[in-house]
Amino acid sequence: MSRITVPIGPQHPLLKEPLSFLVSLEGEKVMDSTLRLGYVHRGIEKLAEQRTYIQNVYLIERICGICSHIHSTTYCQSVEALLKLEVPKRGLYIRMLLCELERIHSHLLWLGVLAKNIGLNTLFMYAWRDREIVLNIMEEISGGRVSHAVNIIGGVRVDLNDKHLSLLQEGLRELTIRVEEILRAIESDRSFRARTRKIGYLSLEDIKRYCVVGPVARASGLDIDIRRDAPYAAYNELSFEVPLMTEGDVWARSILRILETIQAIRLCTQIIHNLPDGPVSVSAPRKVPSGEVVSRAEAPRGEVFYYLRSDGSQKPARLKVRTPTLTTLITLPGQLKNMQLADVSAVIAGVDLCIACGDR
Amino acid sequence: MDNMNLLGLLFRIFIFPGFFFLLIAALFLHWLDRKLIARFQGRIGPPWYQPLADLVKLFAKEDILPSGTNLFFAALLPLISFASVLTASFYLPIAIQSAPSFQGDFIVLMFLLSLPSLMYFLAGWVTQGVYSVIGGNRSLLQYFSYEVLFLLAMSGTAIASGSWSLADIRLAQIKESPYIFPQIVGFLFSLAGLIGKLKREPYDIPKAKSEVIAGALTEFSGKKLALWYLTIQLQTVVGLSFLIHCFFSGFWQMSTFSGFIVFLLLLVILQGMLSAISAIYARLRIDQLVYLNWYIFIPLTLLHNVYILLK
Amino acid sequence: MNNILLKIRSFFYLLPNIVEVLFSKPETIDYPAVSNKLSASYRGSIRIISENCVGCGLCVRDCPAQALALEKESKHSFRLIHYRDHCASCGQCEMSCKFNSIYLDNSYKEASADRKDFFKVLVDNTNKK
Ligand code: SF4
Ligand code: SF4
Repeated sequence: MSRITVPIGPQHPLLKEPLSFLVSLEGEKVMDSTLRLGYVHRGIEKLAEQRTYIQNVYLIERICGICSHIHSTTYCQSVEALLKLEVPKRGLYIRMLLCELERIHSHLLWLGVLAKNIGLNTLFMYAWRDREIVLNIMEEISGGRVSHAVNIIGGVRVDLNDKHLSLLQEGLRELTIRVEEILRAIESDRSFRARTRKIGYLSLEDIKRYCVVGPVARASGLDIDIRRDAPYAAYNELSFEVPLMTEGDVWARSILRILETIQAIRLCTQIIHNLPDGPVSVSAPRKVPSGEVVSRAEAPRGEVFYYLRSDGSQKPARLKVRTPTLTTLITLPGQLKNMQLADVSAVIAGVDLCIACGDR
Repeated sequence: MDNMNLLGLLFRIFIFPGFFFLLIAALFLHWLDRKLIARFQGRIGPPWYQPLADLVKLFAKEDILPSGTNLFFAALLPLISFASVLTASFYLPIAIQSAPSFQGDFIVLMFLLSLPSLMYFLAGWVTQGVYSVIGGNRSLLQYFSYEVLFLLAMSGTAIASGSWSLADIRLAQIKESPYIFPQIVGFLFSLAGLIGKLKREPYDIPKAKSEVIAGALTEFSGKKLALWYLTIQLQTVVGLSFLIHCFFSGFWQMSTFSGFIVFLLLLVILQGMLSAISAIYARLRIDQLVYLNWYIFIPLTLLHNVYILLK
Repeated sequence: MNNILLKIRSFFYLLPNIVEVLFSKPETIDYPAVSNKLSASYRGSIRIISENCVGCGLCVRDCPAQALALEKESKHSFRLIHYRDHCASCGQCEMSCKFNSIYLDNSYKEASADRKDFFKVLVDNTNKK
């Protein structure tokens, strides 16, 4: 049988961000696939060396459009560690609150993308409709729907007032109902199951071999979560569960992400109930003493890792970012082998790629 | 032929129930479909003139095809499918009009309604893009499973009336009762077959956007694309009218105004069912579709037909 | 019992949902016929209270996008320029300014096809003595 090569990307309705896949098919079966990255490489790591520490907060935030807050949190953490700054408790709590809101927003967005790719447009619309609640809350708190610009070195720059709190309580209550409904839907709807079960399987060994992190790893049974294993901000003061599944297919990933969303809603509720008083930030000097530091945080897609070296000036000497997407990307050709062409869309959506994160 | 008759014939072909009526009905049903799906999903949906605006815009657009395409065939294929759907509408007693009926026009209608799918497959080959070829191939793979299902499920009515003529099917229904009650199973399966014919979700495998972009129509643009869209929209009306004729036409007497209203109402209700089905299911995979049709739907339909025969 | 119902519903799980949504208010709005409400804290366009500005250049120094420029002739004669196409609406200028002069309001930046629209002189003190 002759092979045909189907290009998926850089421009394709399946992909929301540019990435190039060449899939060679025999009939409908995928025999081989190659991957090309780099269409959204912006040279952010190099750019960061030419800007001051303060300017970099906003630059780093633009690494990714969806998990923007977690990137700036990790960056600020590393600078604060070099400066030996003690961020006030209230500041940390607000940071965490936005991290968790962002997780809800990211997971719901992802579910929408998956549902769209398997042709279940109604679920896509419902997921994005519910995500709107979170976006509105974040807009009210920070002034931006996806680029929050909340973090500054030494804390956060917004404070929560009573109006925010009541808005949050109301929104979270509404969201809990809706997310539980979505969970029931994807657990039992037959056509959703038919398109996602036993697709894109990754075993625990594969996960460890490729160093995959985040929900993809947890859906295959690897129990890692930076929030619990190496608590940053004030996560050690909160109680939450890390959901775990062992099936390792796209369906398990979807269930797991929705379970995580529920946990995130729980965390948000805890945060607004235990919000300490006090200032939200401390002022930070412009010059950072020389030294090097590593900082980690749990983004919606897994662990982000920052390495920062300072030479005592106003600008960083080196900033290295490692995002979770890159490792997940490498597993894709293996997952796609012997799949049907129709499953390519489900698999690619299932691992939740963030190409802009991966390319930087 | 006297003058009156000729005028009447022209009226029949162009105004009612001919082209003009069909066009209005097709645009209206298309709008209804989009509006309903939008409302199912919590959106506002397009205004009523949207389908017409889309068509006008497409007709005004430049017509580009990739080099190496056989231009003659690329123009011919949408025309043939358009013509076959219009011809089908001529044989079908749409609404309350009577149509020239003869023994076996049921089969002719079946054939005319399935022509567009074949043309769709050829369109994929003619335009030569990767996505078009895959889309065309998929439509052919899917073709046999839903075509057989549609034919079998619809022929239940012919078996029950003992004739392959549409007029007789109707007469039998008026005499006994509309076939929808004894043959509800057959009706549901014909609806499934029709969904496959119209390439709607969940049978929209040949034009699955996240896999093959727009399937066989990926490379088409301008007037030809508009003609394709119009064909599919007209096919919806003709297909639904066919279903209504075979399963519901016992509800009204020939040539009454109330009959016309009932017909329109049924058209809207069936379109609503199609929209709801598209809204709640994910797109099937090709192997799942073939499995579903050949192993579940078709055997059940066969059993159903045997039951009708024995009754 | 509940389990069996769920099993049956799983064949058409979303059907009750779509019926429910069909009879409730749509979530989207008919933009632009109905205007989109932005929250009061939304970071939109740059505004300035020019009397307060002393031309210190703090905002220019911290702007991450180089969207601000200061042309200084002397202590009291300067121009503060804003390039809207560079601006990321981040709000750092508002934070940096010690004189409550520059701030962001919740008005939306509209796109423009004219290059001139992206160039705005915020403060112009050059022709005052
Ligand atoms: S909002 Fe940000 S980018 Fe825009 S002028 Fe102010 S500091 Fe510069
Ligand atoms: S706006 Fe504020 S920070 Fe900028 S130059 Fe004027 S006074 Fe200085």
